[in-house]
Amino acid sequence: MFTDLPKFVFFTGKGGVGKTSLACATTLSLADAGKKVLLVSTDPASNVGQVFETEIGNKITPITKVTGLDAIEINPEEAAAKYRDRIVGPMRGILPEDALRSIEEQLSGACTTEIAAFDEFTALLTDNDLVERYDHVVFDTAPTGHTIRMLKLPGAWSGFLEAGKGDASCLGPLAGLEKQRDRYAAAVDRLSDGATTRLVLVARPRHSALSEVARTSKELAAIGIKNQQLAINGMMPQETGGDALSAALLQRDKDALAGMTSQVAALPRAIFALRAENLVGIGALKRFAAGAPDLISTEPDQTTVHEDFPTLGGLVDDIEQPGKGLVMFMGKGGVGKTTMAAAVAVELAARGHEVLLTTTDPAAHITETLAGDVAGLTVSRIDPVEVTAQYHQHVMATKGKNLDAQGRAMLEEDLRSPCTEEIAVFQAFSRVIRESTKHFVIMDTAPTGHTLLLLDATGSYHRDILRHSDGKQRTRMVTPMMRLQDPEQTKMVIVTLPETTPVLEAAHLQDDLQRAGIAPWGWIINSSLAAAHTTQPLLRQRARSEHQQIDKVRNELCQRYAVVPMQAAEPVGVEKLKSLCVVAKSSVAA
Amino acid sequence: MTTLTVYDPAMCCSTGICGPDIDPHLVQFAADLDWLAERGVEVKRINLSQEPVLFAENESVKAVLEKSGVEGLPVIMLGDTLQTSGQYPVREKLAKMTGVEFKAGATETASTSCCGGDAAESEKVSSSCC
Repeated sequence: MFTDLPKFVFFTGKGGVGKTSLACATTLSLADAGKKVLLVSTDPASNVGQVFETEIGNKITPITKVTGLDAIEINPEEAAAKYRDRIVGPMRGILPEDALRSIEEQLSGACTTEIAAFDEFTALLTDNDLVERYDHVVFDTAPTGHTIRMLKLPGAWSGFLEAGKGDASCLGPLAGLEKQRDRYAAAVDRLSDGATTRLVLVARPRHSALSEVARTSKELAAIGIKNQQLAINGMMPQETGGDALSAALLQRDKDALAGMTSQVAALPRAIFALRAENLVGIGALKRFAAGAPDLISTEPDQTTVHEDFPTLGGLVDDIEQPGKGLVMFMGKGGVGKTTMAAAVAVELAARGHEVLLTTTDPAAHITETLAGDVAGLTVSRIDPVEVTAQYHQHVMATKGKNLDAQGRAMLEEDLRSPCTEEIAVFQAFSRVIRESTKHFVIMDTAPTGHTLLLLDATGSYHRDILRHSDGKQRTRMVTPMMRLQDPEQTKMVIVTLPETTPVLEAAHLQDDLQRAGIAPWGWIINSSLAAAHTTQPLLRQRARSEHQQIDKVRNELCQRYAVVPMQAAEPVGVEKLKSLCVVAKSSVAA
Repeated sequence: MTTLTVYDPAMCCSTGICGPDIDPHLVQFAADLDWLAERGVEVKRINLSQEPVLFAENESVKAVLEKSGVEGLPVIMLGDTLQTSGQYPVREKLAKMTGVEFKAGATETASTSCCGGDAAESEKVSSSCC
């Protein structure tokens, strides 16, 4: 698998790229080589117990079938909930309900979850008695550069916090844990020590995923984490068996690798082929770790892989009904929000509607040729980097001007938090929201429920308007939040992939929106092999394994959904985008 | 010297730095407190989302919360005496509370907007973040 691994190994990468599988296989091969190994999983969807056929949970548990291997599963959502309870619990029945709710919302963001998970695993990382007992400790996740930088800032833990000069907002969730500051410092030191720690950057062989790896790699190197390694997971195998889709996907993967930045290309690299079998059970893991061929079912194909899934075109039929409205696409990066938004916009315009498509597509090549080519379609572009920079400047000019050098450093770091971009982009988008009362407005991004609640609770807009208006005005008053909550005006569409972790992450986004009083209107399952045409045995087996996730979305998560087939190439241009709306049916006929 | 204590609403930070809305009132208020501190006033800020227990332990603050909910925040106390609630006082008012000399014309104001509209004019503000 990997060679010359130091004591601590961290796997990092987006949800669904296979961090946990790689971590499990790594620990297995280390244990097989006679090492004593501890596996720490902080994956909220951890199936480490299932993989090793052992009940694990939040305590160090020996894996009976693998000599020398122990494992522990930390659920970051539970850790965050425990943290919230520690703060809010003692106040129940003492402080009024709305005060408790406002505290809970503050502690419900992604950063609280990350910090809570970090808190849990630093306890392991810095427990010398514990780590002495192992040759290797392998983590299936790693803190982000943002978190590490926050912890490294000299001012973060000083009396600065009480000086009223402005504190590190992103450290907010940490304030209750301040007693642990020595432990955090020790953990950060250990992470940045190349002799004892290696960080494995895991990515799919895709262009966008590898650009993200380039950014992460640079960011981590800048804060001193230089012992990095690249793991490409899910590379299409060479044998395409004459299958057109397989050949196209193989070419796509090769192109992506060829296009890596020199910095990423220079990292030590391990490539793992796309597997047909789920990496569950020690046998499958051993085959994976050894690079052995996996087991592809040789039984005759009993199930029909092609199903008559509802198409994107079907969703457009429903979107079209009111003749106007706002449609927002949301989902984790890399699931295809921009493509879906563009396809829906093109289809609506082709059906004779006035459509404004606003997109954050950084490459702009998907939407580049659209404006002017389709009657009724207008494209407006928001450059997230640019609007974030503007927001950054604005904050530094207003909030930063009274701060000393240390304060400005902390403010700068706050502005690098992931929520800053979300807020800046949403502010830019919200300027066009009101257009949707006249025609269609399609957006390829949406704020999370957490951000909406904070925007709303901070109240400067929504509540002040309501408070300052009389009863008659009030009934006519519509704030952006109210517009987003009204299903007559706004349709939120969640985009995901037919795999376990992406579906779980999408379900979390949905819960978050529901907390903000927004019920997502529909789901799109993108890049489905089950809806595509392929004869290659590996892809057909993977297509069959998609059904479990598709059934979950259909039966448990939504009222309305569409499945969009895996595309051989990125759909660029009007015709290709329009074909996404009908392609599921045509490929069945093929 | 008596301590001026500010009981802030739930927010990650006392300046609303990374809040979704850039709030000039909070920035100004933070600067005003800094100004007071430079003049020897002991200033303390407590955030509801970080130290709720201190809100519950203070009878005056708890009473405000019970009566007005979080709308009653921030509460400003000088020693054991409640000074204001539901708003961030301007520098002049703070100076008066604490007996610090104040010359007019020293404060600045700014305006901001959020969610695509002009923010309503109000002294009651708060901000928060991720």
